Amino acid sequence: MTKALDDILVLDLTTEFWSSLAAAMLGDFGADVVKLEPLPDAHELRDRYRDQNAPETWNYSFELANRNKRSLAIDLDAGRATFEKLVAAADVFLTDLPTAALTELRLDFATLSQLKPDLIYARGSGLGPEGPDSEEPAIDELAAARTGMMPILQQPGQPPVYTGAGQIYTTIMLAFGVTAALHHRDETGEGQEVDASLLGGNMYSASLDIQAFLAMGGERFLQPVSRLDAGNPMSGTLYPTEDGLWVTLTMPDTDRWWPDLSDIVGLDVEDPRYNSHERRCEENRLELISALEEAFAKRPAAHWRDTFNERKMSADVIEDYAYPAQDEQARRNSFIIDVDTENHGKVPSLGFPLYMSESLAELARTAPALGEHTDELLSSLAGASGDEIAALRSKGAVA
Amino acid sequence: MTGTTKAALDGVRVVDLTVWFQGPVAGQHLADFGAEVIHVERPQGGDLARGVRSIKAVPVGDWNQYFLVINRNKKSMALDLKLPEGQAVMRRLLEDADVFLTNLSAENLAGWSLSYEDVQKINPKLVYAVASGYGQFGDNSKPSFDMTVQALTGLMTRLGEPGQPPIYLGMGSGDAIGGLMAAWGVLMALHQRRRTGKGQLINASLYGAQLLLGGASLQGYLATGSERFSRQQSRSEPESALWNTYQAKDRWLYVCLADEGDAWSRFAGTLDDESVAADERFATADTRRENAAPLTAALAAVIAGRSVEDWLERWGPLGIPASEIANLADLAEDPQAWANDYFTETYCEEVQRDVKVRGLPVGLSETPGSVRTLGPELGQHTEEVLVETLGYTWDEVIALKEAGAIL
Repeated sequence: MTKALDDILVLDLTTEFWSSLAAAMLGDFGADVVKLEPLPDAHELRDRYRDQNAPETWNYSFELANRNKRSLAIDLDAGRATFEKLVAAADVFLTDLPTAALTELRLDFATLSQLKPDLIYARGSGLGPEGPDSEEPAIDELAAARTGMMPILQQPGQPPVYTGAGQIYTTIMLAFGVTAALHHRDETGEGQEVDASLLGGNMYSASLDIQAFLAMGGERFLQPVSRLDAGNPMSGTLYPTEDGLWVTLTMPDTDRWWPDLSDIVGLDVEDPRYNSHERRCEENRLELISALEEAFAKRPAAHWRDTFNERKMSADVIEDYAYPAQDEQARRNSFIIDVDTENHGKVPSLGFPLYMSESLAELARTAPALGEHTDELLSSLAGASGDEIAALRSKGAVA
Repeated sequence: MTGTTKAALDGVRVVDLTVWFQGPVAGQHLADFGAEVIHVERPQGGDLARGVRSIKAVPVGDWNQYFLVINRNKKSMALDLKLPEGQAVMRRLLEDADVFLTNLSAENLAGWSLSYEDVQKINPKLVYAVASGYGQFGDNSKPSFDMTVQALTGLMTRLGEPGQPPIYLGMGSGDAIGGLMAAWGVLMALHQRRRTGKGQLINASLYGAQLLLGGASLQGYLATGSERFSRQQSRSEPESALWNTYQAKDRWLYVCLADEGDAWSRFAGTLDDESVAADERFATADTRRENAAPLTAALAAVIAGRSVEDWLERWGPLGIPASEIANLADLAEDPQAWANDYFTETYCEEVQRDVKVRGLPVGLSETPGSVRTLGPELGQHTEEVLVETLGYTWDEVIALKEAGAIL
């Protein structure tokens, strides 16, 4: 079977989880991804991924962000000539280094595109390539802090909340940008620069609130809204259950769902306080929220799930990670997979969120050991002989 | 951002049979980069998102940004797929299209002969992209909205202080990532088609996409089973006190200082209370990690004494990464967001003025995206597509209109 990207060679010079994951996901769909591990810091960069509270465990974040890659340990200065041969063979160069470092290392777009005129040069940054703060470090928390969502997601009076979603959004934006550029190159033979940032990722992952504020303004988008003051009691709301869990409802079309909802919570469908969308969502909105609060607290979560399922209502119990970890649906779709590891047996891992019928994502290889593929890559991509490789090794240019 | 002559997706035609957010936003990403995206809507009212009247109980005002922004750069065709005449037009539309994008139920699609199998017969080169709730396989029958699917992922339960309600990641947070993933899949399938000559079925889902949003924390849970990943953790007991949120005199800030090298001595030197720097519990990186809770309390007391601006002025020159925790009003003025085209202004026909919209989150130097028009009126391009794209005669158009198949 072919894979969508199996004609694409990606040079991956990333150090962060979110950007490394972008390269791994290109690899999931067939790209040949070469992880460039810069000497002499390569070990240190890997160690940063270790879970300090469980240092002996499978290096799960590193493994996820570096699966389906081969590793080449190279000193980008001493091994420059070799590196240039790799660039000439590559389709995509993907990095998250600061522009100052890229210029100093002669890894900027202008330099590399001379080696490979149709190169796609993708860079992930913290706050975008333009603007006064373009050189600020790429830290997702700081990008999230600028995005305006941290003060409003939680209940009133609670501290700001960091979700981590923005960086994963940025991961997919990088992959999207690279693939869009490949499409253009397919058509015209032209390469180009691609950029995505944690700020852009955080903004787009929160795009509805942000766009609503831009268009409508107002205090209601600047302060947390209490769940007891939700705009629509039947949509986007949370209610506690008898056993201390929570249910959430999304039924924006309240006319369609009121007969079912009123029935399951024991309210009269004709109750004059709630018998129109306007009465439910405007005139008696707060009263209906209280009524639902009281009703959902009378039964346990399992009862509500069964009831929602029976009636095919868009409502569910709010679970923790134990749910997807055991969920058959997540396995059947390979959203979660089991990985055979060398030292830790079979370990569950995040899998592949996207299905392609003619290009099934798969785990062709787990994350490589440092320099595991140095010899084969030098031989196949840089045309180096055994003696040449040995010479590079002895002068510390590769490892 | 207008006047671009080249676009990355020039020549790609997308038939966008979607409603609400996850599907339409996938089409938006493709349209922003130059694809011709034809949003097919039912003649009676069109896409349900046209009917959004309020958000967070705030009236949408004079332009419905919810619909108009995610359907920007698109054409609208009003077509009744319940009628055989409408289905015949749809088949002709798909014959020459590159991509069919949908988030309608499989049941509806099959009823209109628009299943993947049906459509492959019309056009084997077509990329058939589904933005779904729960994925390609298994029980897909439950209705799916962003938040009810997010509820299952476990993402909400781990956020916030212990004992607080779960926290939703924001309106449309799951739709946004699911839609982007669908758009990415389309591009990969187009690249593959160049070599194979064949289309394929792709499926991006709210469930799969949002599980990925769990990122390192869900991955950590899967590997270790530890509740430190799955349950609420208090900010007063962080892993590192130097990587935490604090309330300054006026507002909250986030400091993100990796506790390595001389980081602590640089940081401690900026504090007004020398006893924190001198405290033996905080002498080494290991003891600071063991005593992260008391260190957080000590730092909270000190940081509360000055404004965010004061702290950033002290920390900036020392390379201590930190930021004010902005609100949406701050973001709306953030020069980074404007300089990078993450925000832009564009003309809105409905209100006859320029309006601010979210811009282009991915930069392509040679073929940048653009915002050319906001979302179309319902059926604005029906006749144009029928006559100019599909070659219908005006008599045929009139017949379709009389049959009620088009507006």
